[in-house]
Amino acid sequence: MTPTLTKTLRGTLRSVPGALSLVVLAIITAAALLAPVLGLPDPAEMEFALYQPPSAEHWLGTDNFGRDIFARVVWGARVALMVAIGAALLSILIGSVLGAVAGYFGGWVDGLLSRVFDIFLLIPTFFLILLIVALFGASLPLTIIAIALTTWPRSARLMRSQVLTLKSRVYVQAALAAGAPHWLVILRHVIPNGIAPIITDGTILMGMAILTEAGLSFLGLGDQNLVSWGGMIFEGQRHLRLAPWMSIAPGVALLLLVASLNLLGDSITFAMNPQLRTRGGAPKKRPTVAPPANEPAATTDTPILEVEDLRLVYSVGARRIAAVDGVSFTLRRGEALGIVGESGCGKSSLGSALLQTMPNNAALTGGTIRYDGRAIVLDGKGVVEKGRARIDALRWTRIATIFQSAMNALNPVTTVRRQMTDALRLHRPGITRAEATARIGEVFGLIGIPRSRMNAYPHQLSGGMRQRAMIALSLILEPELVIADEPTTALDMLIQDQILGEIADLRARLNLSLILVSHDMGAVAESCDVVAVMYAGRIVEIAPTRQIFDNPAHPYTRTLIGALPSLTGPLEELESLPATDSAAVAAAQGCRFAHACPAATDLCRAKVPPAVPLGDGHISECHYATSFAAEPREVRA
Amino acid sequence: MKLLRYLFYRLLQMFPIALFIVVINFALIHMAPGDVSILLAGEGADPEYMEQVRERYGLNLPLYQQLGAYIGQLLQGDLGLSFRTREPVIGIIAERIPATLLLAGTALVLASVLGVAIGAVMARRPGSALDTAVTTLSISLFSIPVFWLGLMLILLFAVTLRWLPSSGMASIAGPREGIGYALDVARHMVLPVLSLAAIWLGQYVRLSRAAVSETLAEPYVTTARAIGFPERRVMTRFALRNAMLPIVTVLGLELGLLLTGAVLTETVFSWPGLGRLIYEAILSRDTPVIMGAFLIMSFTVMLAALLTDLVYAALDPRVRL
Repeated sequence: MTPTLTKTLRGTLRSVPGALSLVVLAIITAAALLAPVLGLPDPAEMEFALYQPPSAEHWLGTDNFGRDIFARVVWGARVALMVAIGAALLSILIGSVLGAVAGYFGGWVDGLLSRVFDIFLLIPTFFLILLIVALFGASLPLTIIAIALTTWPRSARLMRSQVLTLKSRVYVQAALAAGAPHWLVILRHVIPNGIAPIITDGTILMGMAILTEAGLSFLGLGDQNLVSWGGMIFEGQRHLRLAPWMSIAPGVALLLLVASLNLLGDSITFAMNPQLRTRGGAPKKRPTVAPPANEPAATTDTPILEVEDLRLVYSVGARRIAAVDGVSFTLRRGEALGIVGESGCGKSSLGSALLQTMPNNAALTGGTIRYDGRAIVLDGKGVVEKGRARIDALRWTRIATIFQSAMNALNPVTTVRRQMTDALRLHRPGITRAEATARIGEVFGLIGIPRSRMNAYPHQLSGGMRQRAMIALSLILEPELVIADEPTTALDMLIQDQILGEIADLRARLNLSLILVSHDMGAVAESCDVVAVMYAGRIVEIAPTRQIFDNPAHPYTRTLIGALPSLTGPLEELESLPATDSAAVAAAQGCRFAHACPAATDLCRAKVPPAVPLGDGHISECHYATSFAAEPREVRA
Repeated sequence: MKLLRYLFYRLLQMFPIALFIVVINFALIHMAPGDVSILLAGEGADPEYMEQVRERYGLNLPLYQQLGAYIGQLLQGDLGLSFRTREPVIGIIAERIPATLLLAGTALVLASVLGVAIGAVMARRPGSALDTAVTTLSISLFSIPVFWLGLMLILLFAVTLRWLPSSGMASIAGPREGIGYALDVARHMVLPVLSLAAIWLGQYVRLSRAAVSETLAEPYVTTARAIGFPERRVMTRFALRNAMLPIVTVLGLELGLLLTGAVLTETVFSWPGLGRLIYEAILSRDTPVIMGAFLIMSFTVMLAALLTDLVYAALDPRVRL
């Protein structure tokens, strides 16, 4: 068994509905298999005990012919399972072969087959099956074939999309290069690897097949020679008043079987993608705290933002991941701070913590955030004053953010103008339409978007324009502090430069304070006064920009700067960044960079380095900070 | 103008599908055991009429010309005569459509509005005990055979409690017009609508739960919260508004399934709609009616899909008209 299969199976068994449905399925299957040897009364045998209610002799009573209903229900399970398995197998067989062919060969074959799949989606299949059975005569094999013939496009579509991704895999290409014929490659490599989601869908297909057969039997189009649950209800209907038990038992059996199949499919799907069950959701209630008793009044010298020993932990299953692990910094009014680090170092989590927009599986476990001298987070708890969270009073009017991917950060179904008007109206309720339009025009002018684009939807703007619209949205309420989380990552180099330049320019003109989160040393170099380098959840070095580039005092910072391509200098080999797993690194003893540090000693591996002050606000968490600082980085260009 | 062009373009796309359905129907008639002319005219038709049918459908001509003749007849709205009543099938079917629309439409509105609301609420607390319970319950709901649920409701509310009528659309001796008639029909509708809506409700709860939880994880929802919009606004303007797109798509795709449920429900409650007609046709082996019903159902589903596309285009500015 492959690891994924084991994991899926375990996940399925662990969920209550999953385990329960497996038990029900096992019982029904056993009953169907053992029906001939259970010593039940003959389901077709007519006794002279008509319409007997349930009793010790006839557990579920007898019907209008005196036949034992319990025996008939057990025998009916055989028909139900035959329909389920037969129709699903046949349907999957046809579907996966045609789907594989369509996806594998592409071109006109795919075009034609995909059209056919789509057409079948629009045909009311039950009526087609009904017509087939009505024209050709009711029999179980025909019903099974008719169900398969109308449902196969379901599997075909699934298989086609699987094959499209499988086609480029190495082993498929290798088999082709070795000269294997196409049909062999499809049969041996493509179908077996793409079948997993189709089998999951198979449980739903089986449920559908059973209900279809039952529906046909209920309309009188069932196989007259067999006992089927639908047929039993068909007969029971006429005797509903006299002998309701005739209809109740087969219906309950149908419900149990179909519900088990559907619940099983559902549990398997969730076991394969656990986040499907828990993602999204409303923001959860978080612990709050009253404001501290004697907060000193803010003066002109009070920094706009102070962060002390902030900690943020993600819970993923049973794992706890410390994404922000004791971060402290101070941002003065009008200053720009760059936070740099590779992906996964916790820099974006830090950004989300500042605005309290972290996902539900993240929690602040400690630390204090002060905005303009007033605590908004105290010991990891949100500060609430007079029934309102302090952060809520700051949102967008004082602190705004520029999010990473403007494609999804703006509402795709609303025009840019509408989104800005909504934000304006929310915080300035009395604003008139004309005033709002004037303000939007003003901000558009600041960031260089033509006013004519105001009524555009996000998708109608180019990548650069969309990011500018996001910036415009962040500035609409004249905030003091803007947190920009990788504002230019998704854009091409030229536009990146332009937008970074515009942000730097705006900051100077509007006297904004700025936090710029980026993985790119180059991006922060141009627009920030101070740079903080983050590694595995901690700021390992912080210094004025000039200082950190000239005198990097942490080996990780040196690696980051080394990874900066020089456009003017000679081509040189880039120092590549070692990958990190924050959780593992944070758990290790000693310096968290020691495992990847070229200069690591035994001391580094044994002892956590202290924060070494190097003057001018330059701090480095390295045992050898002073000696690194004393040795300026060689000038490369 | 753009909308008209879009509509025209989509109608054009429907053409091959309609042709495909007609060809299936034609192929089935010819492959089925027995004489084609009997299938088309109905068993026991008089020789004169039989000859007339042979002539009209060109049954003595080569197969492809027969197909042409068949399509020609369909284009004139001729679906043949009912073997039972000797009336044109098209008229019989048209007569029954309002009753089906009333039943299915009411149940659809009830189930989709309620289902989307419940699903959206569940999506706000994903993984909670309530969410798991509601998910399990809604899966169980749509696993119930709709006709059986109908019978059980009759057993409880009509047979045992005697609160509501169990069959038909109006009382035999009841009022024939005005508010009295409307109330009478409403009373007759309760049970069939309830059984249909219950099963569809399960579908919509699941659908909306999945769609809303997906949109709640989108970055634009985070933006909305960062801006400071109250959760209610975030939910309606951002999450639900965007979740409507997949919901409408699936709604359109599952209309065939909906009609299936409606037909089975009508059978149980003797509701005088299309479903009941199909059931009667099956019992009396009235093949022209069954074939006609299949064609009409197929075209209805196609038109509904077209309507869904238009609604989608109105909801999603990214669809280029």
